[in-house]
Amino acid sequence: MRIRSLFLFRRYTIPAFIIILLLSTLIVMSLRVKQRKGVDFFDALLMEFCAPFQKVSTFVIKSIRGVFQEYLFLVHLQKENVMLKQRIAELQKENHQMKEMALANERLQKLLQFREKISPSMVAAEVIGQDPSSWFKSVTINKGEKDGVRKGMAVISSEGVIGQILKTAPHYSTVLLITDYNSAIDSVIQRTRAKAIMEGKGENRCQLKYLLRTEEVIVGDIVVTSGLSGNFPKGLMVGEVRKVDKKGHGVFQYAELVPSVDLTKLEEVLVITGSSPLQEGKEKKGKKTPVNPVRRKGGALTPHPQ
Amino acid sequence: MRRIVVPLLLGIIFLTLQTTLLTSLPIQRIRPDIVLILILYLSLFYPPISGGILALFMGFLMDLFSGNVFGLYTLSRPLIFYVAQFFKGGIYLESFTSQFLFVFIFDLVEGLLILLFLNALNPGPIGHLYPLLFTFLLPQSFFTGLITPTLFFLIRKVSFSLFSHHEMGVMERGDRL
Repeated sequence: MRIRSLFLFRRYTIPAFIIILLLSTLIVMSLRVKQRKGVDFFDALLMEFCAPFQKVSTFVIKSIRGVFQEYLFLVHLQKENVMLKQRIAELQKENHQMKEMALANERLQKLLQFREKISPSMVAAEVIGQDPSSWFKSVTINKGEKDGVRKGMAVISSEGVIGQILKTAPHYSTVLLITDYNSAIDSVIQRTRAKAIMEGKGENRCQLKYLLRTEEVIVGDIVVTSGLSGNFPKGLMVGEVRKVDKKGHGVFQYAELVPSVDLTKLEEVLVITGSSPLQEGKEKKGKKTPVNPVRRKGGALTPHPQ
Repeated sequence: MRRIVVPLLLGIIFLTLQTTLLTSLPIQRIRPDIVLILILYLSLFYPPISGGILALFMGFLMDLFSGNVFGLYTLSRPLIFYVAQFFKGGIYLESFTSQFLFVFIFDLVEGLLILLFLNALNPGPIGHLYPLLFTFLLPQSFFTGLITPTLFFLIRKVSFSLFSHHEMGVMERGDRL
C-alpha cells in the first residue's frame, strides 16, 4: 500500500506542480491588480537588483554612440551649425515676445485676484531602459522613492507630456507612456478649449475620446493638458491632431494625434514632484490635519500659514 | 546550484539587452524577444519543475519592467514553457528551419494569448490593439525566429563550457532526454 501510494505520488508530482505553478501565477496577477503591499515590496526588491544592469548597459551604449556621433560622423556639421544659430535667433525673439505676454498675463491675473500658480518642483531623471514587450509602452528611470518620486506623478520634458509614474522602487521607477493603451489624460484642444480624454493607441499615436460632435476640431490643432486631474499641470503640450473621425452617428467624435515628444528617443525626463494648489487642496481634504490658528489684528482667527 | 543560477543570470542579461540595446537600434517593429528564445531553449533541455520556476521568474521580471498592469507574462511564460515541453518529443529541432518555425509559432501563440487576456481583463473594448497583430507581432515573431538558431548555438556553447554534461539542467527522476 505504501509502495503503491509512493508510486502514485511520483507519477502525479509533475502535473500537480504544473497546476500549482500556473494557479500561483493567477494569484500573483490578482494581488498585483489589487496592489497588495507584499507584491509591491517584492517588485521593488527585484527592480533594485535588476535595474543597475540596465543602467550599466545604457551607459555603455551611450558612450559608444557618443564616440560615433561626436568624432566619426562629423558630416554636414558646419551647415547644421549655421542653421541652428539662425533658429536660435528666431526662438530668442519669440521667447522675448512670450515673456512680455506672460508678464502682461500675470498682471491681469493679479488684477482679477486669481490665485497664483505655484510652479511645481521637479526631479530630473535619466531613462535607463525601455519596455521589453511590444504590447506595452513604458520606460524605466533612475529616480525612485528616495528622490521623492511617487506613483501617479506626472512625467514631462521640455517638449511636452511623457506619461506618469506606474511603479516605484527606492532608486528606480517605471513610467507609463501616454501611448500605452492603459494611459488616459484629461486634455483640451488649445484653440477651441474643447475637452476630451486622450488615450494611448499602442503605436506612437494617441487618440482623443469623448470629444463632443458639436465641438470643432481640425487637423493641426494642438492638444494640451486641462489640469483637471491634478497630477498634470494645466497647459502642457500633449500633441497635434493628425486625423479626425466623426463617424456616421453618435454623440462623440474621435481624433488621432501624434505626441509632441518623440517617445522612441527619450533620454532625460522631468518628474513633477511638487503639486498645484488644486492637488494640494485635494490632499489636504483627504488628510484632515489640524491647523494652529493665528489671531490677526481685529480678532479674526485664520489658519497658520504652512 | 550553478544549473539554476546560470540560466537565471542569463535571463537577466537577456532582459537587460532587450530593454536597452535592442530598443536603441532602429528596429522598433522587429525587435526580437530574446527572453522567449531562452525560455524555449530551457523547455527543450530543462526538467519541468526547475524550468517552470525559471520561466515564471523570467516572466515576472518582464512584467516588472513593463507597463503591464496585470502581470500577464508571469502567466504566459510558464504556460508557453510547458506547452513547448509537451511538444518537444515530437519535433526535430536540429535544423535551422525547424528551430525558426518552433520559436516563430510559439511567439505568435504567446502574442495571441496576451491579446486574449487583455480582452478578457479590460472593461472596455481594445479594438485598436488588433492591428498590432500585423504591424508588430508578425514581424517580431519572424525576426525572433530568425535569430533563434544563432542564440540556441550560443547558449549551447555556454552550457558546454560551464557544465560537465552536455545538457544544461538536472535530470529529474523519470525524465529522459
